[in-house]
Amino acid sequence: MGQLIAITVFGLIALGFGATVFRTSSMVRSALALLGSMVAIGLMFLTLEAEFLGVLQIMMMAGEMTIMAIFMVMYMMDPGGLGQMDMSHQKRFSKAAGVVAFLAAAAMILLVDWGDTVDEVPAPDVQVHNLGLELMGRSLLIFEAAGTSILVAMIAATAVAIARRE
Amino acid sequence: MTVLIVALIVGAGLFGIGLYGALSQTNMVMIMMGVELMLGASMLNLVAYWRYLHPEAYDGQVFVLVVMTVMAVEAAVGFGIATGRFRDKGSVEMEEAVDLKG
Amino acid sequence: MSVLWSAIFLMGGAYVIAVLESWFMTSRFRWLAPVAGLGELAKEPVIPRLSDRVFYESAPLILLTVPLLGFAVLPLTPGVIVTDLATGALFLNAALAYVLVALVMAGWGSHGAYAMVAGWRFLGQFVGYGMLVVMPIAAVAMRAQSLSTTEIVRSQEALWNAVFQPMGLLVFLPATMALGFMPPIDLPVAPGELAGGVSGEYTGPRLTIFRLGRLVLVVTLATAVTVFFLGGWLGPVLPAIAWTSIKVTGVVALMLAAGRYVPRLREEQVLMWSWKFGIPVALANIFWVGVILLAV
Repeated sequence: MGQLIAITVFGLIALGFGATVFRTSSMVRSALALLGSMVAIGLMFLTLEAEFLGVLQIMMMAGEMTIMAIFMVMYMMDPGGLGQMDMSHQKRFSKAAGVVAFLAAAAMILLVDWGDTVDEVPAPDVQVHNLGLELMGRSLLIFEAAGTSILVAMIAATAVAIARRE
Repeated sequence: MTVLIVALIVGAGLFGIGLYGALSQTNMVMIMMGVELMLGASMLNLVAYWRYLHPEAYDGQVFVLVVMTVMAVEAAVGFGIATGRFRDKGSVEMEEAVDLKG
Repeated sequence: MSVLWSAIFLMGGAYVIAVLESWFMTSRFRWLAPVAGLGELAKEPVIPRLSDRVFYESAPLILLTVPLLGFAVLPLTPGVIVTDLATGALFLNAALAYVLVALVMAGWGSHGAYAMVAGWRFLGQFVGYGMLVVMPIAAVAMRAQSLSTTEIVRSQEALWNAVFQPMGLLVFLPATMALGFMPPIDLPVAPGELAGGVSGEYTGPRLTIFRLGRLVLVVTLATAVTVFFLGGWLGPVLPAIAWTSIKVTGVVALMLAAGRYVPRLREEQVLMWSWKFGIPVALANIFWVGVILLAV
């Protein structure tokens, strides 16, 4: 019961912050609202007893979203939101697409028979141990591929962003 | 069971909001924020599935780690492109980005 | 019971650090310096025009809450720890990452040029020190075979991590100083240069909360150095809590002495040292620990 209340509260917080991202005209507020949404998702992970992933999510998003905030301030014409600029297009189509996506997913969730659910999960320390073994065993190749793709992305991003020489 | 459904509904809601944002915003950084929201929704779904359907399979958690990597990669490449475009054109408004149009 | 002891330790630590800091900064030893600082509470709070009120009000509170959360996973004696999480070391990292968020919020919300420059400066500093906090902790966790902070202290019974992996301590200590914006890496508040930086627009009770948050942050960081590298409560003869107190005070004194005698670094110097010196050393440290663990 406590779990249900917690997941509902955190879920509402996540949705509220998620909606704030596109409702405010101050760019730093927008980025930090996204951070709030991500932290609420992390708290939902903790509620779902995935302790390692929850803490990792909360840790990673702090840096990522703050960096996002500074890029917004750098590249927006009105980062403070004082001029009330409108920076959106095709609003009706987007709204329809969002609502249709949500309704389709919700219908699927409610119609599908999920079968038996599991009540017990391993303790957090066992989870961390098993996740480590999984990463270094069967999923090693996937893990390595993720690492390599980060390296490639770093090089590509630097190459794209670097100033052209005359 | 109820918790699983609530978590999935929240995921669907976040995905809808993210899709709306990614389609309606004209600024590249704002579009990326919509994409991040959608990725967050997918992570939430993965954790919920792992918890209630297959807690013995740690592939679920590995998948979440991969999605986190994708978020970081997306941010890095996106900011790289934004910086390059800002240097060339002086703005990252996507309405003006028609260079690749035939 | 643990909560009570931790709170007493935290308050005592904050008091001692405030006294030491005023001693190191003014060369005069005054027992009542922190009490005199409380006079700020009675001053009139001035709120800048056009400030972002949500950020402006919540930033000092976040700065106070975050180190408290981080402190909750640090053991003072074998029994005294608020919550012994299975992912304690990672949780400490996660909590301390929000110091960055608090300072950026304070800098942006204040609606002042100096404050904003200082807030973004701290983001630049974070890019430098972020990895240097995570990587030594990873090496420490490798030795303990656990992310639990209690296990990490137990793993040092034979030999402190400061001796086992000195390179880790070499990068971790400056990184924690950068995280707690202590001199000489105090770019976000730089009193002589940015007129107080992120805290420049704060007055009255809010400034008191900001300073208190920073003191608690320094206690948390010094305790983290003690737990991860100096063997926590371990030591002969004296009781466990005495050893923790002595080590934490020593670490704080070392940090403050560095602030007194090393000139302030510029932003690009911080980044240069972090990337060109810190990251290779931290990687070498992880390699060293791995080799020793396999070979011995």
